[in-house]
Amino acid sequence: MPDHRIDLPQGTLDLLILRTLALGPEHGWAISERIHQISSNVLLVQQGSLYPALHRLERRGWIKARWGASENNRRAKFYELTQSGRKQLEAEKSEWKKLTLAVAQVLGTA
Amino acid sequence: MLSDLLIRARALFRRKAVESELDDELRFHFEQQVEKLVQSGLPLPEARRRARLEFGGSDQIKEECRDARGVSLLEALAQDIRFGLRMLRKSPGFTAVAVLTLALGIGANTAIFSVVQGVLLAPLPYREPDRLVTVWLNNFRLQSPTDLSYRDFLDWQLGALPFENMSAYAWRSFDLSSPGNPEHLEGREISSSFLSTLGVGLALGREFSVEEDRNAGAPVAIISNGLWRDRFGGSAAALGKPIVLDGVETTVVGVLRPDFRFGTGYADVYIPIGQRKLVDANDRTAHDVECVARLKPGVSLGQAEAEMNAIQENIDRLNPETEQGLGAKIIPAKEPLVGDVRGTLLLLLGAVGVVLLIACANVASLLLARSAARAREFSIRAALGAGRGRIVRQLITESVLLSVLGGVLGLAAAKWGLSAALATLAADLPRSDNIHVNASVLFFALGVSIVVGILFGLAPALRSARADLQPSLNEGGRGSTGGHHRTQSGLVIVQIALTLVLLAGAGLLFRSIQHLWKADLGFESQHLLTFQVGLSPSATKTGAGVRAAYQQLLDRIRQIPGVQSAEITTEVPMTHQVNAIPFWVDSHRPASVAEAPRTLGFITGPDFQQVMRMPLIRGRFIGRQDTIDSSLVAVIDSELARTYFPGKDPIGRTITFPQVGDYRIIGVVGHVQHWQVGFSSPFTQNQSYVSIYQIQDRWMTTIDTWTWVVVRTPLDASAVLPEIRKAVFGAASDQTVYHAQTMPAIVSESMSPQRFPLILLGSFAGLALLLASIGIYGVISYSVTLRVHEIGIRMALGAQTRAVFRMMIGHGLRLALAGVATGVAAALILIRLLSSFTHLLYGVGADDPVTFTAVSLLVTGVAILACYIPARRAAKVDPMVALRYE
Repeated sequence: MPDHRIDLPQGTLDLLILRTLALGPEHGWAISERIHQISSNVLLVQQGSLYPALHRLERRGWIKARWGASENNRRAKFYELTQSGRKQLEAEKSEWKKLTLAVAQVLGTA
Repeated sequence: MLSDLLIRARALFRRKAVESELDDELRFHFEQQVEKLVQSGLPLPEARRRARLEFGGSDQIKEECRDARGVSLLEALAQDIRFGLRMLRKSPGFTAVAVLTLALGIGANTAIFSVVQGVLLAPLPYREPDRLVTVWLNNFRLQSPTDLSYRDFLDWQLGALPFENMSAYAWRSFDLSSPGNPEHLEGREISSSFLSTLGVGLALGREFSVEEDRNAGAPVAIISNGLWRDRFGGSAAALGKPIVLDGVETTVVGVLRPDFRFGTGYADVYIPIGQRKLVDANDRTAHDVECVARLKPGVSLGQAEAEMNAIQENIDRLNPETEQGLGAKIIPAKEPLVGDVRGTLLLLLGAVGVVLLIACANVASLLLARSAARAREFSIRAALGAGRGRIVRQLITESVLLSVLGGVLGLAAAKWGLSAALATLAADLPRSDNIHVNASVLFFALGVSIVVGILFGLAPALRSARADLQPSLNEGGRGSTGGHHRTQSGLVIVQIALTLVLLAGAGLLFRSIQHLWKADLGFESQHLLTFQVGLSPSATKTGAGVRAAYQQLLDRIRQIPGVQSAEITTEVPMTHQVNAIPFWVDSHRPASVAEAPRTLGFITGPDFQQVMRMPLIRGRFIGRQDTIDSSLVAVIDSELARTYFPGKDPIGRTITFPQVGDYRIIGVVGHVQHWQVGFSSPFTQNQSYVSIYQIQDRWMTTIDTWTWVVVRTPLDASAVLPEIRKAVFGAASDQTVYHAQTMPAIVSESMSPQRFPLILLGSFAGLALLLASIGIYGVISYSVTLRVHEIGIRMALGAQTRAVFRMMIGHGLRLALAGVATGVAAALILIRLLSSFTHLLYGVGADDPVTFTAVSLLVTGVAILACYIPARRAAKVDPMVALRYE
């Protein structure tokens, strides 16, 4: 597997997870797979950061968890976005856009 | 927020479930990964290996997940407590001093609170005590509630609409002659509904029936549990058995429960009040009955009083001669019991609160010094990312730990101190048998501990958390602590000021008692002995018999070697006997007896003035020539003479006691302190003396229950009393001697309103002085430690040892003087304020210069003493060592 990994800036993992879950409930493994795929194999989320992040988001009330059956019919813990999570996603998205725009301007590429 | 709490709670209480879910989740991930790798063509063992490598340490992930879910609050608390205990163990000296200081403060507060709780706050031990009231006759002219007559009570009972139940009771003592040895017993006459009004049951038997509560009813009695066990061995067969009371065979129909209490006194025998002699029962001027009633639900005191006033107005109108000017007064049942001590107890609670404040200031000061030493620890923790809140929480946890430890120790001290204090002071307090360390006291101690812990912990904690990281990290651990030191100095000034306030209070009380002892009583209390005698029932059948019995009794007592003189009297000063009778002089008869002024009627023998050594101002005292057959004569005191014969000679004038007769005034004697030494009293001040040998037969036959013998003898009471008993039994074998007391003891007892708070306030002030001197010692000694370097330089530059010593003492002295000045100002305001509604001071002003000078000198002296040791240490600093210390 080619290693295109880059380090995620602080705080972006939460945004990525929320964005992924905006498409529908998923379990942890699928979340990391999906981020990997959508980012064209650039972003690889380590389990060591994924699960603490999921638990943190759950505690904040932005996502909630329930046990269900996976596609291969095994018991898995699915996470889904809550109402406040949806709001948080919107807020973080616009923050992110502002940030990238600003960074791009500074770098003189915008 | 809610999800946060739920998840924290779940993490705490469903720990196992949460952990196994975490395991399942991570295993699922691992297996998915393995499956994915297998599908991409790897053999299973290789796929497993790769997945495991990618996965990293699963324990670490779990730990981080746990962190992400949040450490539960309780877990953090447990952590703080463990850490706090470790810190306290590491400095046992500090911990011991702080815990002991707090134990003293909290212990004293807990003890006083248990007294306040037991005496003032605890409800009376009756059914729905809030609805129980006492009903009094209100004499508008005398402006004071008084007992009522039984006749009034019966009329009230007929019309008493606001009450569910209404009962009368009167004090009466009995001579019990069988079964067992003859003994004088306190008792009550009660209405048949007395116990059901209170809502208490009997241990055995029944209440009196309405038929028994009438004139000529069968003689029946209810006895106390103690008497029942004493005389009947606690046997149920006591019911229906006779006891002989004042020579009358009386059937026991009920036994009270062991914990039954009513009023301030104790009583062993209860008989129906309706059986009193008709002449007494119908006399509206004989006010010897008290009344307890239960309000109907929802009726207020004001409503009840208005209704009762309307009834009494009716009685007034029907009996204008005696009743005009009377109304009703309703007072909650607890009030007459505790009203006198409420002010004193609240004062003591305030004083003991001040002691606690001083203790808190001490511990806060210690904590400040310690937090200065720990500044580096906090800086490092803050640098490592601990929030300010976290550090404050840690420090508060430590201080609450200290105070709870202090509270536990204090509770033990309170329990011990309370039983010691009650052993000596219980007699000065109403309801003292109700004082226990119970649940509400425990709750109080715990609450005080926690509040106090936060109180003295907060300032040092906030200071530490606010401290800048940089300086203390840079300073190599010898933090600059000017700020700490200023706060500490402030605390010491406050401590000294508070101590001075307490000392001034105790000092003023002490001076009051000094003055009270010197106060003129109007008689000589030294070498006086007093007691009562239950005359033989055979002697009290006729008036002549009683007169003869007394003469015979006194003859025998006077013959005892060492007895200088002896006489009988119905009133002994300061024993709370009230024979307040209406009177008028010459022809100034008021419209109604109720509106007549009152005088204390002393019914005595002719030697009374000589026995008491009262000054005779004019004329003569009653003599042996004044008998039942000669004309009625009376002696009045200087107070009555001044008020009713201003500037005139009262000798030969007439004083009239309604229903008794017109008396010719033959002499004036000095006023005697009858109520309480030194204090003006709301009660009757006029005094008059008539001869017991001129009292008519109808009163003579019952007079022995309120007659006392006074004996003047230089001998010790314990030596004379057996002789007296022998003489009394010699006169008649069925006579009893009781209530024997020396007059100095009675006088001393009358000072209990001052003595009780003096003893406690004095001990609190001593405690405060001790704590404050520890406080000032701590501050000076800490300042020496901080300034060792500076002192070294001074000495290296040639400063004399004495100059250094003076400098340190001067530092302490400045603090002490600032504290004294503040304290004097505070005490002047506070004590003036307090003395305006508690009548405790006598002979000294609230600003007594002697007291204030003495306590100021005492506090300053103790402060200098406390500075002495650290100042000596400063003077002994070796400049070389101090400079090398860097």
